[in-house]
Order: sequence, then C-alpha cells, then structure tokens
Amino acid sequence: MTPLLEIAGLTKRFGGLAALDGLDLAVAEGEIVSVIGPNGAGKTTLFNTMTGLYGPDQGDVRFEGQSVVGLKPNQITRLGISRTFQTVHLFPNMTVLENAMVGQHCRGRAGLVSSVLRLPAQRNEEERIRDRARDCLSFFGGRLSGYRHDQPAFTLSYANRRRLEISRALATEPKLLLLDEPTAGMNPKETLELTDQIWRLRKDRGLTILVIEHDMRVVKGVSDRVVALDYGKKIAEGTYEEVAHNERVIEAYLGRKAAAG
Amino acid sequence: MTMARSELRRRAVRAGLLAAVAIVYLCLVGMVQAFSTRNIVGGNLPLSRILLLLPSAVAASLAVRPRVRGGVTMELNMGEAAGAGASIGLIAGAAVAVGIGIVNLIGQEAVRGVFNAVTSALMLTLTLQRSTVVGTAILVALSTATGALFALAGVLAPRLRRPIVTGLTVVLLMGMLQSVVRVMLVQLGLATQWLYSVTFGGLTYLGAVASFAAGMAAARLWALRREAAAADAAERAEAGGRPRIPRAMLLVPVGFVLLALPALLGTFLSAVLGQVGIFVLMGLGLNIVVGYAGLLDLGYVAFFAVGAYATGVLTAAVNSGSSLHPGLPFLLAVPIVVLIAVAAGLLIGGPVLRLRGDYLAIVTLGFGEIARVLVTSDWLKSFLGGAQGLIAIPAPTMSVGGLHIDFRNPQPFYYLALGFCLLAAFVSWRLANSRVGRAWNAMREDEQVAEAMGVSTVRYKLLAFACGAAIGSLGGALFAVQIGSLAPSSFVFFISIQSLAIIILGGMGSIPGVIVGALVLVGLPGFLTEFAEYQPLIYGAVLVAIMLYRPEGLIPNVRRTRELHEEEVEQDAWLEGVPEPAPSMTLGEAVE
Repeated sequence: MTPLLEIAGLTKRFGGLAALDGLDLAVAEGEIVSVIGPNGAGKTTLFNTMTGLYGPDQGDVRFEGQSVVGLKPNQITRLGISRTFQTVHLFPNMTVLENAMVGQHCRGRAGLVSSVLRLPAQRNEEERIRDRARDCLSFFGGRLSGYRHDQPAFTLSYANRRRLEISRALATEPKLLLLDEPTAGMNPKETLELTDQIWRLRKDRGLTILVIEHDMRVVKGVSDRVVALDYGKKIAEGTYEEVAHNERVIEAYLGRKAAAG
Repeated sequence: MTMARSELRRRAVRAGLLAAVAIVYLCLVGMVQAFSTRNIVGGNLPLSRILLLLPSAVAASLAVRPRVRGGVTMELNMGEAAGAGASIGLIAGAAVAVGIGIVNLIGQEAVRGVFNAVTSALMLTLTLQRSTVVGTAILVALSTATGALFALAGVLAPRLRRPIVTGLTVVLLMGMLQSVVRVMLVQLGLATQWLYSVTFGGLTYLGAVASFAAGMAAARLWALRREAAAADAAERAEAGGRPRIPRAMLLVPVGFVLLALPALLGTFLSAVLGQVGIFVLMGLGLNIVVGYAGLLDLGYVAFFAVGAYATGVLTAAVNSGSSLHPGLPFLLAVPIVVLIAVAAGLLIGGPVLRLRGDYLAIVTLGFGEIARVLVTSDWLKSFLGGAQGLIAIPAPTMSVGGLHIDFRNPQPFYYLALGFCLLAAFVSWRLANSRVGRAWNAMREDEQVAEAMGVSTVRYKLLAFACGAAIGSLGGALFAVQIGSLAPSSFVFFISIQSLAIIILGGMGSIPGVIVGALVLVGLPGFLTEFAEYQPLIYGAVLVAIMLYRPEGLIPNVRRTRELHEEEVEQDAWLEGVPEPAPSMTLGEAVE
C-alpha cells in the first residue's frame, strides 16, 4: 500500500542556505509522527513547502499518490492537508464560529448567484457549514462552545487561540493534519490535556498527524514514530526511545562535547 | 481623581489656541461671511454667528473629557470644567479681537491684498453690527460664555448630556435645512408659520423650542428603546425565540417615506437626492472592494466612467459623437453595461492580484488616470468622442396609461436611482452574509492564512473587483442618463476620493453607513448651496474629525469596530486588571 504522504528528496534553499536538503519522509495512514530538531533545522519550512506556501527547489511531495508540488495552498487544503501555524494566525476580528466556518469554505460550493438569491441549495449548505463548524469547535468541550461562538477571536486566551486554530484546521475536513508546535506557550496542565486530545484526533476522527514539537513529554506521549531534522537533513528516525538516545540527535541539540561526554 | 492644576491649565491653553486658529482660519477663507444671511433661530442668530462660536464650543467640550493616565481616570469637577471652558472661549475670542485690531491698524485695503475675504461686511459680522470696541467686547464675552457652557455640558453625565446635545443638533439641522423641511411641510399641507419665520427665514423661537424638545424626547426614547431591546434580546436568548416584531415590519414605513419623498420635496431637492443615489451606488460598489475584501482601490472612477460611457454609446440613437449609435433601450443596455464593467473589473483586477496595501492603492490610482486619458484620447475618439465627449444621450422613457414619463426629470429619475440602489444594497447584504462574504472577510484579515484554509484568494479578489465594478457602473449609467452628455472632465480623481470618503464616513463594510455617508457628503452640499464653495474644506475637516474621534464611521460595521478598538479593549482589560476568565469545567469536560 502506498503511504498517505511520501516526500522524496525535498530541497528548499533560501539564497545559499538549504533549509531542506534532500529530505525523504513517508507517513502511513493513521500514524502520528513527530518532527523534532533544533531551531532552524527546517521543520516549519517542511510544513510550508508541503502546504504550497513555498515551491520546493527539488524533490517531490506526494499525497495519496498524487504530487502536490506546484499546486496552490488552497488546492492542497482541498485535497485534505490542513495545518496550524507556529505563531497563531487566526482571523482576529471574526467570531470564533466564523473562524471555524472559514475552515469549511473549501467544502462548500455556493457562489455569487446562489448566495444573492439564497437558493435552497445554498441555505442547506450554509446550515451544514455551520453545523460542522460547531462540531469541530465542540472537540474541545466547553472551551470554545456556547457563548464563546459569538466572541471575536482576539478576546480568547492564548491556549484557546491555539485550540481554535486546531478546530479551524479540523473544519477543512483534512486527512492529514500538520500541527506546528501546538503546545507552545501552554501551561503544563493544558499541555497534558492537548497531548491526550492529539490521540483523540486520531481515535475519533481517523486523522493522520504530523506534529512539530519541542516539548519532549508531548513527543513521547503522542508519537508512533519520531523524525529528527538538523540543517534540513534527516538525522534520525524511529521510536521515541531510539531517537532520544541517538548520538547525532543529542549532538545536534547539545553540541559535540556533550555527546562525547 | 482630579487633575493637577498645571496640566489643566496646559490643556485649556492648548485647546484655546486650537480653537483660535480654527476660527481665524474660518474668517479668513470667507466661510463665516458666506453664512451671514442664513438665519437659524430668530433674526439674530445666523449661521455665521454660530460658526464664530462653534470652535470654542467644540474645543471646550472635548478638552474637559475624562482622560485615562496610568490606569487612573482623571475627571474634572464642574468648577474646574467651567473655568477651563471659559479660558478656552476667552483665548479664541481674544484671537478674533486681536485680528480685528490688526485689520483696523493697518487698514482693510492692505489686508485685503492678501486675504480677500476680509471685507467691511465681515468686520461688521465679527463685531455683531455694532461699533468696533463694543462689538468686539460682546464677541469675546459670548465666546467665553459659550466655552464655559459647553465645558459644563462636557462633564455632565451622559444620561443628561445626550438629550441636550441631540436637542441642540436638531435645532441646528432644522435651521440649516429650513428650505427642505419647509417645502416638505407645505407639500403635506401643514402650517409652517409657527415653525419658520416668514420675515427672516430661520426657526421662530417657538419652533426652536419645539425642535429642541423633540430632539430631547427622541434621544430619551432611543435610550429607553435600546434598554428595552437589550432586555428583550437577553430574554429571547434564553427563550430561544424570535423577536416580537419582525424587523421587516419596520421597513414598511421607511418604504413609504422613500416612495413619497419626490412628491414632498419638489423638483430641485429630488434632483439632489438623485445625485445622492448615484453616489450611494458608487459607495456600495467600492464598499465591496475596500470594505469587504480589503483591497484599497483609489481608481474607482474608472468603473464610473465605464458605466457612463458604455450607457452613452449603447443608448445613443443619433450621432452623439460616437460612430456607434445602436440606440438600444436603456433597460436592455444596462445588463450589457454591467457585463462590460465586469470585464473591466477583471482586467484591472488581474494585474494587481499580487499587490497589497499601499502598492495596490498606487497602481489602482494609475488605472483611474488611464481611464480618464483613454476617454480623452484621439485613439478612441470615433467611439467615445474624445475631448468633446458624447452628446445627445437619450433619457429612458416610459408610457403608463397614456402618461408619458421621462426619466431625466428629477422626480422619475429619483425612482430609477432608488430602484438601482435597493438592488445594489440587497446584493451587498446577501453577499456579506454568505460563504462569499466570509471568504472576503478572511482574506481581508489575513490573506495568506485565508489561502491556507482553502480560500482561493485569486478567485475572490477578482470576484470583489467584478462585483465592485458592476455596482459602480450602475452609478455611471445613471449619471449618463441624468446629464445627457458626457465630458472626460467629469471623470476625475476626485470622484474616487468622494466614493472612498463616503464609506470612510459611514463606516467600512456597513451598508446603512454608505447611505448616510452619501447623504452627508453629497446631499448636504446640495441642500445647502452656500456650502458648495467650501465642499473640499468641509470634506477634509469631516474626515479628519471622523478618523480621530470615530474611526469606525458613523454607522459602523460590527467587525470593523472590533478591529479598530481591539487595542483599546486589551489596554482597558490590562488597566482594570481584569483577569482572563478562567476556563470553567463544563458538563462535557466533567463527563470525560
């Protein structure tokens, strides 16, 4: 069976700097894979290249056997890859519900004419968009539900902004979800909660998840497999235990001396 | 907490000097004198005298507003406020007095060499038609008193202040719009002598008192209604039901008024309303591009020109200056005009897809100029008439039961404009509350993220330009019908600015805002012919004031208000030390 995601020889240069340098990676359906690596290792560049924000210089990204290189970000989202951002990017002045409804945009069809005439098909679709957006928000229990639906997104606390971003990504109905440091800035209790919720995303919603994470407890808690990057290259791959004790990984994080000692 | 004395003094002097600059400026450009014959109340209060005192009043009431310093609100007590207001009025009055002194010292003729508005008539107006010394003294005293009074009003509780301010505003408006209101009352067969004086034109004292009372009552009723509405909304939210009176019911009386207006206003004022209608269309169209999609277009006049010229060429039956004169009936031509405008929108939208913000503004500005150059050019002369423009554009006509209606006449034209405006408003409203509107909104907030969430920004940008162009071209089509001939000089940059000013004044993204904006910026100068000369000055002043004190516009779109006051909300929360609401355990979480 072909893996859900297949990355081969992916290279992205910024000037002379290779942010990604011939990266190979395969993710099977239903897997949760963590991407770790020191700052500047190319983790976020990997996400940006996969989702079409950057075009790669070389290599290929295949999703369900089809190459997505050269597609626009909105087309890739429609195919079923959705993401969150390292620094939270919501639509701050739209309400919580509207934010999630924008996620549903790519699953709708209503255009100019049907919107102006409010045809039955458009009304049904709008109803469906609203229901699904509510459903995605309810994934986080009461934190984004009820009266919060009508609050503008900028009034949310930091942790809730992160949760809303995940809900919005869920609303695009992805098969593959890319989470970029989902627990950054959360307190230990919230982090623990989210670790559990990442598991539930797979269990309840059948998602395949690729997650960039710095918090090793989270990495340990969620990953089937861990991939370590440094200078745009894959330096280790395997279970959490294998990667965490890999010499090159320790060296990349702590420097040569520590690895030797 | 009260304010330190030195700070209060500094603020009063600053406000006073600003008022002084404003009033001297208004005198020197001739605006004060221009309004000396329009009586507002009685025979002794022409608009010129109000204008003389207005800067002191505004400066005083703004200067005494509470300020927040370091998280503490500083408020003035009544005595301090009155003192500060009096000083502000005194400084402004003294500035005028000094001006009068200087003019008398070096002679009017010498001053007139530079400031040609300094006439003996102006000097008489300034000295209230009395001798120089006595008149100046009275003026300074009046200015001081006005400052003190308005400063006192400024520190009143909003509950008391709002009705008073509304009452005064109604008196001023009734006085300024005397011709409009009088015509309407006469048409309705009502007596006007008690309200407006026959001899001096303005409100009678009885009329002024009645207007003031009506304004106060309206403000009070409005406040009560809002409280009731809030309570009602809370109740409804609990019950989960619908409002008791459907909002559609409220539209019925509005509809009647809209339909009856031409009959009430007569020919001249209906023509002004027709002009307002053209700019409502321009505003609604630009509102889609700028207000919904966030694409700043400074060349919107291009679509106005496309609409007007396309209508002119398509409907002309005789040689109008264009070699084409198919003579299509107006209603058949309009859909073709809209299609041509959509094509123009896509043509302009295409090259600017990658541009944002300031760059987009500059490039669209260029497109606006290109449109003007094209219609002037010899290259298209055989189609568009070149510098001579097009003439003999027929007016649409209609025969109903033997009655012949010519839509160039102001009253039928009003209905044509009203129909187009209603159509455009309906389309805007439906689009705003749909998947399309949501995509535009997301794009305006963050283009890159919208794209990443599956919104095709290319598609929705082009759609915004096309919709904006279509609605704007309807404005152009009406313009062609109204004027009957087109000259390239009608399609200048100022039209773009005017359209933008309308939506800024009314509130970005707000449909009622566009209508109010057009009424204020196009309607008022039309109703008050004295204003025409000072239109750009008033535009500038109004826009600066709006940007400073109400950046969300007169009738704001909810979302825009959030955007502009986001920082304030966050600051307030920080200053008041309000903690983030703690995440509470809900039933759903408890069950987990």
